[in-house]
Amino acid sequence: MKTLIVARYSFVEIVKSNVLINTLFLGLGLVVIIYIASEFTYGVPHRIALDFGLGAVSLSSVGMATFFGVGLISKEIENRTVYMVLSKPLSRQAFIVGRIIGMGGILFINISIIGVITTCFFSFLGGEINTLVITTFLFIFLEAMMALGIIVFFSLITNNTLSIIFTIFFYIVGHALGETKALSFAVSRPLLQSFLKFIEFILPNFSKINLRTYVLYEQSLPDSFLIQAFLYAVFYSFFLFLVSTLIFNRKNLD
Amino acid sequence: MISFKDITKEFKPDFWKPSFLALDSLSFNIPEGCITGFLGANGAGKTTSLKILMNFINTNSGEVEYSRALGSTWNEIVSNIGFLPERPYFYPHLTGLEFIHYMGDLCGVKRSTIAERSAKWGERFKIRFAFDRKIRGYSKGMLQRLGYVISLIHDPQLVIFDEPLSGLDPVGRKELKDAMREINDLGKTVFFSSHIISDVEEVCDQVIFIEKGKLVYQGQIDQLIKSKMKSEVLFKVKCSPEKLTAIGIDSFAGIGDGKFKFTTLTIDQNKTIRNLLASEISILELSPKRPTLEEVIYKVGEF
Repeated sequence: MKTLIVARYSFVEIVKSNVLINTLFLGLGLVVIIYIASEFTYGVPHRIALDFGLGAVSLSSVGMATFFGVGLISKEIENRTVYMVLSKPLSRQAFIVGRIIGMGGILFINISIIGVITTCFFSFLGGEINTLVITTFLFIFLEAMMALGIIVFFSLITNNTLSIIFTIFFYIVGHALGETKALSFAVSRPLLQSFLKFIEFILPNFSKINLRTYVLYEQSLPDSFLIQAFLYAVFYSFFLFLVSTLIFNRKNLD
Repeated sequence: MISFKDITKEFKPDFWKPSFLALDSLSFNIPEGCITGFLGANGAGKTTSLKILMNFINTNSGEVEYSRALGSTWNEIVSNIGFLPERPYFYPHLTGLEFIHYMGDLCGVKRSTIAERSAKWGERFKIRFAFDRKIRGYSKGMLQRLGYVISLIHDPQLVIFDEPLSGLDPVGRKELKDAMREINDLGKTVFFSSHIISDVEEVCDQVIFIEKGKLVYQGQIDQLIKSKMKSEVLFKVKCSPEKLTAIGIDSFAGIGDGKFKFTTLTIDQNKTIRNLLASEISILELSPKRPTLEEVIYKVGEF
């Protein structure tokens, strides 16, 4: 219950900081870009609309998760707002989980706004909206939550600049992992392959939950793949949030 | 109400730097129903003590004991404490009232009660007019006043303020001191830290004085003054300075119009009066001299 109170006010605070105006501007920019790009495209303008749309949703939500997530807890400590909040009957766990849920709500709204614009254009240009398109947006949300988990974790153990650098690094590496493993150079070297598998096990494997290529080329995906990817993202995020909560619980707020 | 028992706290500024002792086996009690001042110079360990008391930081050793009247679980205890940190900061994009609602909701206070209490304390601290404004537009003093309202919104038994008078103008300081007395009159215990001795002397019944993380004194202000300063009387006389010197009074100061003032120990009072009268010196005024807490603290702790 108290977690939801923290989540609600965190959400309201971020909404009132006018961050969603940026989302609206991004949406408008996207409309212009999709229109121009589709004019230069022959045959598959809807695919262009979806490609740009998914890219914009992904980058904006991960960017938002990174740049807002970095201050989600650390700014509270720095500004001493945390003293006001934690001097009330509220556990540290409830506080951090509430902040994360509040930020998750912002990411959800951001993805919904740009997602609606994208799917409208996609449909308008002749694309067929199917469950995979919707599922892709859900996975982008999970991707943003994983990025949020990474940045919150790092912001509790290091400074803000390093947290952002680490998160961007992990985001890039996490996306490159799948393709790197498939390179013939890596395939032909068992030692490197084992090393990549080990890295894949530890680092966030964003390529595992990236459905953009599949949806763009209208490839079907087995349910088992989707379920596995979904569970991976949920458990990885949950693990990061759990570790962050444990760290925050023991952290000296000085 | 709260007992600090042998609390030691060390801080390590950096990994490769040696740690320093912020609190050194510090023990004191916050008595119930009193206004207690927590005195110490900057860096004496006041804020560190309050952070330990509020469970924001851990100790290296020792423990804080909370009275059963505050509750048995941490949630119960903290429900009965109203805490205001030094230089409080709130979410800048929320309005004052929204933040009050946030804090009230966390304490499980009904909205109607929040409205009632925020109106009462908002008027008392003269901040109600700005409740609908975004907090980012508040001045330092307004933030402080909003903090007082928030710390009282759940009607706590114990109110803890960290340097509550810093950042306030003289009128604001007087208002807060009056408010602290009012809060105390409502049966609540008030504990506040300050490095301004005169403020503490003005409102407190009890004082806890720490220096370099160690307790120097805890108790009533009057007792501290009595125990640490010799009782003196102040004489104001009219005569020539030679006459004073002739009766053995060497330390005196002119106050104009051929008048002089000097102090003697109370036990020497009668002897001095006899000497003055024998030398036909007019005694204009004779009054007991009560040292201020500030003078005592300077003497006790070389503050």
